[in-house]
Amino acid sequence: MSERPNYSTLPGHNHQLKANEPLLRVEQLSVRFAGVRALSEVSFTVWPGELFAVIGPNGAGKTSLFNVLSRVYQPEAGRVTFAGQELLRLKPHQVARAGIARTFQNMGQFPTMTVLDYLLLGRHTRMHSGILRAGLFIGPTRREEWENRTYCLHILDLLNMKEVRDRPLGSLPYGLQKRADLARALAMEPRLLLLDEPVAGMSLEETEEIAAIILEIKEQLGITQILVEHDMALVMGLADRVLVLDFGRVIAEGRPAEVQANPAVIKAYLGEESEQLPAPADDLPAVSEN
Amino acid sequence: MIATRERGRSRLRQELPREAEPPRLLGSLARWLWLGVGVLALLLFFSLAGDDWFTIINYCLIAAIATLALNLLSGYTGQISLGLAFFMGLGGYTAAFLGGNPPQGALDPWGLGLPVFIWLPAAGLVAALVGALIGPSALRLRGFYLGIVTLALVFIGNYLFRNLSFITGGPQGRNFPVPAFGGFSLDQQNSILGIALTSGQQYFLLILVILLLSALFVYNLSRSRVGRAMRAVRDHEVGAAIMGVNLFEVKMGAFVLSSFLAGVAGALYVSYARYVIPDYWSLSLSIQFVAAIIIGGIADVWGSILGAAFVFALPQVIDYFSLLPPSTGGGGLSSGDLNALLYGLLIIVFLLFEPGGVIGLVRRLRPGRPRLQAAGASAAGAGADAATLKEGGESIEVVDLQQRASGPDEEQGRRRTGAS
Repeated sequence: MSERPNYSTLPGHNHQLKANEPLLRVEQLSVRFAGVRALSEVSFTVWPGELFAVIGPNGAGKTSLFNVLSRVYQPEAGRVTFAGQELLRLKPHQVARAGIARTFQNMGQFPTMTVLDYLLLGRHTRMHSGILRAGLFIGPTRREEWENRTYCLHILDLLNMKEVRDRPLGSLPYGLQKRADLARALAMEPRLLLLDEPVAGMSLEETEEIAAIILEIKEQLGITQILVEHDMALVMGLADRVLVLDFGRVIAEGRPAEVQANPAVIKAYLGEESEQLPAPADDLPAVSEN
Repeated sequence: MIATRERGRSRLRQELPREAEPPRLLGSLARWLWLGVGVLALLLFFSLAGDDWFTIINYCLIAAIATLALNLLSGYTGQISLGLAFFMGLGGYTAAFLGGNPPQGALDPWGLGLPVFIWLPAAGLVAALVGALIGPSALRLRGFYLGIVTLALVFIGNYLFRNLSFITGGPQGRNFPVPAFGGFSLDQQNSILGIALTSGQQYFLLILVILLLSALFVYNLSRSRVGRAMRAVRDHEVGAAIMGVNLFEVKMGAFVLSSFLAGVAGALYVSYARYVIPDYWSLSLSIQFVAAIIIGGIADVWGSILGAAFVFALPQVIDYFSLLPPSTGGGGLSSGDLNALLYGLLIIVFLLFEPGGVIGLVRRLRPGRPRLQAAGASAAGAGADAATLKEGGESIEVVDLQQRASGPDEEQGRRRTGAS
């Protein structure tokens, strides 16, 4: 992006965080499906304002982890504390209200929804009109719609997507759909943003744009982010800390450089003999059978 | 009322950017023109049409209210229901019980003789209440299963309606109340402001007002937070929940409101038909409404109205104009046969070639409108497949998530991909 957009103009994204208190603490988390252990005793802590990456080979349990955090999966054991709250006591729809937003790994969930409507859907928990008020569309509802549309247009403007506001999501190129999804997640005013492979299937140029946006979100909005990504260059370039999973277990955690040099990580990625990390994006379509 | 709304809007316009203004009902010149055309057409119809035409159109407008009810539940929210006839029946018999004449003989069904402004809303409220009681258990189910449960409602209802003869009159049926406002009753000729109106014309006005209010309500819902949540629930339940949408709340809201509208439509129907047997509230009635939303257009107010016209008025119009005999008793084509043929053909044609229904066709032919390209949809599908492949190691989870998320056919497609 040529000129740096000013994200701090987004109201609601002014999180006064106590830096000495973890935002997310995951303790001894285990998930099992029909005998397959997706996660085994995974523990980690994410601090406010951090950009925390989770990497690992296919089937390592990254997506399972996200599915636990968004309450799609019920873990077998473990504890998750988010901003001092027991996350595992919440129902799936309460997670968003608590301040966790998640982007989708693959789009196509809402093909007929327009981009602007999609962002407004993201503001569902920030709006209040119930069925009667909405049906009558009296004063407060119109104001609420108008104010939230203003907010969403502002986000679209920042992400350079204003021209496509009325296009159905399904009619957009894949990269733009993923960017709309990121915009939607931002519209939710999250405290914690879960990015599930935000650049999967994107061109180099698109990847750079998304990387820039992720950095702006971190620096200007101070939103804590957890990034699951296969693109190793992106992860190593952006993340403050990296957690490496393999077969559902934590095999390494630390700064990108430390993790990159960790023998266990190299082994997990390439097997015994090799000594290099794979080139970015090479591992994308690799595994197709279990 | 309108003046204060205008003031409210102009104040908002000063505070907030114009580009963010929510879509307005009459937001463009074209829409005002259409409104003018509509009003003119209604006036022409009203002053020129004969009694037969009023009968056809009045039934059609009542059906449009019920179609709107089904479209809210199935079209907007994606919850398949075959139970519409049951809720219409509930509304009808609530109206009969509250508004019907007090019994003369010991065998006559009960009636409290209450006025229309009680029995008409009560018909909706009772249907809504029953919907609210059934909803929590029925809405745990999805897709075909919900369809089967609501189908069961129709049969339970049919049994009850046949046997609770002190309200329903049993298999012989019963008489139903006529709306009366002040001194004049809608089954007689009355003069309003010096204009003599037939019974059909008066019913037309009453039904039209209720249809317009219902349509406005559903339109308002569809452009607001609740409508977006409904569409999200329809398209992808897990995704909707991740956005913070309370699935249960949204489904219940749609179910209860849909039941309310169905109840009101049922009450209007019995009141206009004057004589209805319990067998009328059958599965085939429910299915006609399903056909109406498919032919008219899923998740669309105009689609509901057009769908009702195609399914409930067109056959009558064909009967009316057709030179064919109404029934031939075997051999040869009757107008009834022609209707059945046309009706089946329409459903097949729309399902195959225009899933958006009549209204989808209209909107597609209108120039300068952005529309969903098939290419875009398939690109998204390809993305989903790639993700399934890529996550091969975690395929159990992926399938699990999508089982929870998608309809049966989509699920099958992904299973195929996952297995390859």
